[in-house]
Amino acid sequence: MTDDMLRAPAEVKYAEELDWLESVDDAPKPFSWRLSPKMVRLFVLGSEPSDGLDREIPQKWFGDRSFVERSIVTLASDRGLLLIGDPGTGKSWLAELLSAAISRNSTLVVQGTAGTTEDHIKYSWNVSMVIAKGQSRASMIPSPIMTAMEGGVIGRFEELTRSTSDVQDALISILSEKYVSIPELDDDNIVFAKPGFSIIATANSRDRGVNDLSSALKRRFNFVRVPVVTNKRSEAEIVRFRTAELLRRHRIELEVPPSLLDILLQSFADLRAAAASATGDDDRLESALSTAEQIGVLEDAILHSQFFGDRALTARTLGGSLVGSLARRSPEDLAILNKFWHGVVEPRSKKDGADPSWQGFLEGGRQAISTLS
Amino acid sequence: MSPFGALREQLHDAAREFGGEDAVAAILSGMVDDVDRALREELEIFPVCHHSPASALAMARRLRDKRPSVIYLELCEDLAPLLAELRNCRLPVALQAFANEPDGHPASWAPLSVIAPITEASAEYQAIAYALDTPGVEIVLVDRSTDHVFQWERREPAPDAPGPDVPPEAPEEAALHGDAVGLEIGDLRPGFAELESYLLHHGKVRHWSEWWDQYVEQPLSGADYATYRQVMVLIGSLFRRLRPSRGDLGRDEDRERHMWTRMREHLAATGADPASCLYVCGAFHAASRVEQFGVAAAAPFEITPRTATRWQYGLIPSSHSAIEAQFGLASGSVSIAAATFDKALKRSRVTPFRLEGQKGGRKPSARKSAAAPVVDEPAADRLSGFLSSPPVLDGLDEAELLGWCVDLVRLARRNGYLSSTADAIAVFETSILLAGMRGRARPTPYDFQDAAVTCIEKDRVPGRRDVRHLCEILLGGDRIGEVGYASLPPLARDVLDRLEPLGLDLKKRTIQRALMNLDADPALEPCSRLLWVLRRLLPGGTVRPIMGSRKLGERSIQESWDLALGRDQRALVELGYEGVTVEQVLEHRLRRAVRDPKATAAVALEAVEDALLYLGSRRFVDELGARAVELLAAERTVDDAPEVLRRARRLLAHYRATEPELPEWCKAFVAEGYAHYCTLLPTAFTDDDTGVRQVAAMLGFLFGMESLALSLGCDHAQLELAVRQAHPEAPAKVALLWAARSQLGLMSLAELRGRCDDLLGNPLVVPSVPLYMSGFVQALEPAPALAPVVVEVMSKAFARLPDRVLLPWLPTLITTLREHARELVPVLVREAARTFPATLPALDAWVPPWSPSAAAASPVLVADAPPGPAATLLAAHPSACDAIAALLGHPPGWQESPAAPAGHAEVTALLARHPVALNAISAVFTASPAQGTRLAARP
Repeated sequence: MTDDMLRAPAEVKYAEELDWLESVDDAPKPFSWRLSPKMVRLFVLGSEPSDGLDREIPQKWFGDRSFVERSIVTLASDRGLLLIGDPGTGKSWLAELLSAAISRNSTLVVQGTAGTTEDHIKYSWNVSMVIAKGQSRASMIPSPIMTAMEGGVIGRFEELTRSTSDVQDALISILSEKYVSIPELDDDNIVFAKPGFSIIATANSRDRGVNDLSSALKRRFNFVRVPVVTNKRSEAEIVRFRTAELLRRHRIELEVPPSLLDILLQSFADLRAAAASATGDDDRLESALSTAEQIGVLEDAILHSQFFGDRALTARTLGGSLVGSLARRSPEDLAILNKFWHGVVEPRSKKDGADPSWQGFLEGGRQAISTLS
Repeated sequence: MSPFGALREQLHDAAREFGGEDAVAAILSGMVDDVDRALREELEIFPVCHHSPASALAMARRLRDKRPSVIYLELCEDLAPLLAELRNCRLPVALQAFANEPDGHPASWAPLSVIAPITEASAEYQAIAYALDTPGVEIVLVDRSTDHVFQWERREPAPDAPGPDVPPEAPEEAALHGDAVGLEIGDLRPGFAELESYLLHHGKVRHWSEWWDQYVEQPLSGADYATYRQVMVLIGSLFRRLRPSRGDLGRDEDRERHMWTRMREHLAATGADPASCLYVCGAFHAASRVEQFGVAAAAPFEITPRTATRWQYGLIPSSHSAIEAQFGLASGSVSIAAATFDKALKRSRVTPFRLEGQKGGRKPSARKSAAAPVVDEPAADRLSGFLSSPPVLDGLDEAELLGWCVDLVRLARRNGYLSSTADAIAVFETSILLAGMRGRARPTPYDFQDAAVTCIEKDRVPGRRDVRHLCEILLGGDRIGEVGYASLPPLARDVLDRLEPLGLDLKKRTIQRALMNLDADPALEPCSRLLWVLRRLLPGGTVRPIMGSRKLGERSIQESWDLALGRDQRALVELGYEGVTVEQVLEHRLRRAVRDPKATAAVALEAVEDALLYLGSRRFVDELGARAVELLAAERTVDDAPEVLRRARRLLAHYRATEPELPEWCKAFVAEGYAHYCTLLPTAFTDDDTGVRQVAAMLGFLFGMESLALSLGCDHAQLELAVRQAHPEAPAKVALLWAARSQLGLMSLAELRGRCDDLLGNPLVVPSVPLYMSGFVQALEPAPALAPVVVEVMSKAFARLPDRVLLPWLPTLITTLREHARELVPVLVREAARTFPATLPALDAWVPPWSPSAAAASPVLVADAPPGPAATLLAAHPSACDAIAALLGHPPGWQESPAAPAGHAEVTALLARHPVALNAISAVFTASPAQGTRLAARP
């Protein structure tokens, strides 16, 4: 089934694993959860030999264990979960994994945008049916959140702070009263949430101040802040994991040499250090330099090598992809990258005992900068 | 026979099963051997871990049961005299050994400082309190001395310690220890980072303190003494055996050799029975395998003598956060340990030992255990049971958790969070859920902290403290110690006594504001003097004047001070190591500053100034002044000349204003300076390394103090010769030399002007004209009389130099003027104000006084000759004046005698009509009537 989908949701992709976990899980489960909290954690963070399972469960989200624990516990409580963090820190991925593990459905998603209306959160009407048969439950289109309430599963709200404050506040009654009333109907006009319903929302910390959450809504959510991964080892794991997934998705047989992965991680670490010490926005790349960006760079390089190169990832291609992905503003970003290339990459490539790949990386990047300039 | 045979077999089997038969089996059985060995030792070894409530509790119990007569403690032996002082303090405080001047250690290490913090919830404090308050009990510190800490430091580099659990973004209290080397009794932590991270990962905890709490503290808190002892030695042995091969055991083993040697010496000297003694050491050292281990061992160990470094000892305040920061513990862990200890005491009903008279905390218990010492049973294997069964965890203490939740919400509200009862409920529920997920029935403080952050912390922190910090405050909070008055060094006591008239409680940790009206209350004058000395000696904002200043020739009428002596007690205590009074310390520091091999005359003059300001001792000032003369004579560079000039001028002005005669050293300094700078002047002019500013300052000294120098027997010819010998090449210095020559009369003003005009007229030189001007600007200081010429030259330059030459120089001019604003700017501005018109309309008609057209257009203006007999005489005989005018090159010309003012026509007419009165007056003066008429015509 996953072969027919460009990107299968987590519950489909890991269906077999989830089935197995469910079969061995004998711990008490809250509400209508499909797995116990400990098993959910295990599904997300992977198993250890000390867990005493018969098979190995791979790690799917890389980050502090306590974040996952706090998120799971929040979902088992009365409050909604708001994952907040910089773009590309894996908030949506964690939300998807949690929904998949808890309710085997991660697709009940409302995407918050400037155009999101209250109808997207509650319900809307099929106008033709209303004209034909009048207002009834049959002519009502429930939102993903309402569907989640009816099913007692987890509903997701992506980019909560992108939608306007009045729309956000529609969630207040859903999270407090746990029902939605439909005043247009005379009977059967209340949809009650079944046990197990909760909401995982994500918010981008860079959007803070655009549409701030009201205090009433804030106190109905527990906030879990997901930081940018700065640990090199964890980051390497994430990049490797996600890249392998992408390669599988694109059906590409290509090896990512570890030395190139090191170069990529090192370059991002250097760029982050430079961004941290920059004094103004003009001295800082527009990109958040998150792990997702790294994966984007690597994906770009892989696709480029696959379709336009000689089917082997080279340092030169990686350099070009990095510049191509990060140079968004001209001339600011290009100037920063140019400075970085001459001030950091070049000395690294000339250092005694340096990996020869640095030289290719240097040339590739330099060429990309000159093409874009 | 060893009771651990069965366990050893079991571990062997386990090792075989894991497949690593040799290495793993050796480690596992070795651990059991270590435990066996430690337990069989005749002298009872009490293994402890720092900041472990379980250790403190076990210690209190054991002391009550055994009542030993001698306690050997793993603490630097030279800190022993400080222990008795602990009773005057509020804990936590740190025992400190301090040496300002290392002798035998590298000088770059100065100041040497070692601290050993003592908290109330520690096993060592229990032992100290028991020993000091029980008659007939002796406490012996057996670890190497603080001097050896540094001796051994040099011998072997420190091993890689695991990093701290928290980033070093420390609050103010965390800096209480300064940069001292920290010592702890019972440092127990895995020797290499991999083991620690492995334990943390598999223990599913965030940091080491949490791991320790969950896997050792809690299971041991209710355990009996035998289990406690065996488990602690086992853990010590595990960490000892699992060390990286590159890690050095050498220093630790030397410490163990030292401790056992000292204990054997003490036993031999006093004849004490080892069975009635107790050896308190870290669990790591309890599992020692050195050949000196045990009272029966005979292996010798030579303890090297201490170096000649003079160590000072004292107590400084400490705090939980300072201890955490120093030893890399997780933030809040020491506070949580203290709270756990209090709770464990209540639950187990053990009465802890506490020094009589100890400040803060609980009141000492009146109940004393009088039961007979408990006879120990032979050691049995408690390890097998401990290792094979899961720890007995506490059940949920609902009331306690509820209390935490409610209090936290209240605290959060006070700190700006919009938290409510609903949050308390959520925190309660989340804590239990989190603990359940982490496999514990009872939420630990760390689970509670996580739950609180999850439920209360939103997208931003509204106040100064975040929820994590609030939890730490709730669970015990940071406790900050205080060294009692009686335990302070004499200097600190003296300071507090002398500041008593201010009527402030200087022990408070808050900043105290002292207001002094010195005119109304002259009794506060000594306080003010002392505060100024403290201001000079103490770093940072410990003593900070808000109003008032202390400079030569100034006196404050009112002063206002911010005093933080309570907060910065450590600074005051460390000052106390340097002397008995602050004046003595200042004198010592000033003397040391001028005796330093790198001292210069400027440093000595600064010391003189400080001595005058703060000490007022004539003898000492003279001594420092004499040293300044010596230093000046020995100087071979003139780098400090501007500083010397400024200070010398200030001191001379001070003495001239306050004393009838200059002190001898002052005279000697001027005479020496005159000769010294004359000698160095020609070289300074030509030397590229000497700046214009320095040469200008030398000239300033020579010209400004010449009259005094000449009166002291110096020779003007020396200066003249020196100037003649100077042949600078740099344009700025050339300009300076011209100014000097002009000042000495060796060059006329006309010649100077001519040279300047030549510079501006020569296109080849024009680019370097700004450099000449820089020299002229500097010349304002030594030759202020040249100010009109400088203004003229600058004005001409501004008018005639092309922008490409002028503009790049302007920033240099501005920065120079800004840097030396005090000396240069007033002279320049005054002269410019005199030269240039003051109003805009006047500017249109203004012609520079130096322009030739101005000279031609306006004839020489001569003030009206004052009328009188002299003018009449000269007018009557003009030939003499005409001759002088011809000699000076002026055309002879005479002013008309002024007409009678028109405004008094009526008076004149009246007098003409009635001349009698005037004639009578002129008759009195025996003058002719005609003259009388002229006289009358004057107003």
